[in-house]
Amino acid sequence: MKDFILSLFGLEEAALSDPVVVAGVILSFVLIAACIAVFITLLVKKRYQITRWGNKTWQRTKLITQTTWFVLTNSFMVGWLKGTIYQGKLKYICVPGMNCYSCPGAWGSCPIGALQAVLDDSDPSKSWFDPKTSTFVQYPKYWIAFYVIGFLMIVGAVCGRFICGLLCPFGWIQDLLYKIPVKKLKLPRDEKRINAMKHPGRVRFFLGVDKYLRYAKYAFLLIMVIFLPLIVRANPWFCKYVCPSGMLIGGIPLMSMNESLASAAGSLTLLKCCILVSIVVLSMFLYRPFCRYICPLGAIYSFFNPISLYRYGIDDSKCNRCKGCHACANACPMGVDPVKTPNSLECIRCGTCSATCPQKAIRPGFKVKTAEGVALRTKKNK
Amino acid sequence: MKLKRYLIPALVLLIGVGFVIVGISDGEAGSVLRKAVAICMECIGIGEFH
Repeated sequence: MKDFILSLFGLEEAALSDPVVVAGVILSFVLIAACIAVFITLLVKKRYQITRWGNKTWQRTKLITQTTWFVLTNSFMVGWLKGTIYQGKLKYICVPGMNCYSCPGAWGSCPIGALQAVLDDSDPSKSWFDPKTSTFVQYPKYWIAFYVIGFLMIVGAVCGRFICGLLCPFGWIQDLLYKIPVKKLKLPRDEKRINAMKHPGRVRFFLGVDKYLRYAKYAFLLIMVIFLPLIVRANPWFCKYVCPSGMLIGGIPLMSMNESLASAAGSLTLLKCCILVSIVVLSMFLYRPFCRYICPLGAIYSFFNPISLYRYGIDDSKCNRCKGCHACANACPMGVDPVKTPNSLECIRCGTCSATCPQKAIRPGFKVKTAEGVALRTKKNK
Repeated sequence: MKLKRYLIPALVLLIGVGFVIVGISDGEAGSVLRKAVAICMECIGIGEFH
């Protein structure tokens, strides 16, 4: 038992003589048990059958799920108490969301960090010293990160961007920030409401800007996560120069608990703090700006949205769109029209549309038909 | 329709499992672990901009 605990927690036997470490181990077990109990309760109460519940209940379920998942995946309490990180074998495995592996409580690896780590790894036997430039040229050890891509394919094929909606820690933080009661930047999507506004031209202009800015996340994925770590090398570029998640759940806690790390803060820390503050402030006004425009993980999962096993299906026999109902499109915080494109690349599967629909015509799940035998439409409405 | 609905994700899932096996046998999981068990200073924004 003792050996199992030491191996699971990645600790040396001598570490158990420290009462803080023992307290951390006990607290970790308590938190894990509590989180599992919460998930079981939600499942038993059928709280994940979105169409059974109203939007208020679903939003509460969603928030509980996000919070519990964050606690579960970051419950290595020894790290939180001692200002260190987990060094055990569970870090072979990636967690599905943006969860920095340098967070003191993280049990698993961040898939984006892991992707860059594999592509950035060098083969010393093939690397050479270039006398012309006086630099050591590193030859990539792996040209394709099969392990991480395979993991992302498995997760993507099962649930697509459901991870963004319910299991991403940075998404959860942005959701909490959006709850702060300030005026929100939410533009209407249906023509009737746009035309009724004071400046419909301006609204259309901002909708266009928003549409094209969303392609930026694919550029971040290609340039900062794949191209630069593989070709220019030497750095996990996205983590180093962009990722606010690492700064928030890794950098700030570690620097506050560890003086030597705090003393190493410099211009990079300033840059990352500025990016973090910008995202935090913007998140209060705009729903999930990081997920919309920057997140490379969301960009990867988005490709799986139209083909994943977990999909949104529209029961056209119930939908009231022909009667002018736009309840789902107006409720969608990501600005998607679920009736037109139920499995849009931008949909984060937050379930708001399904919970809001007065006819319960949006059915998330693994099935192709309703209980009444009506086929669900998962493709674009022609 | 039912077959089409499940065939593509099942294929992607299988390819994903295959990729993971190839990655593990190639030692990529070791690269992930090596990076993840040490505090990644640049990932958490500690240091100088260069």
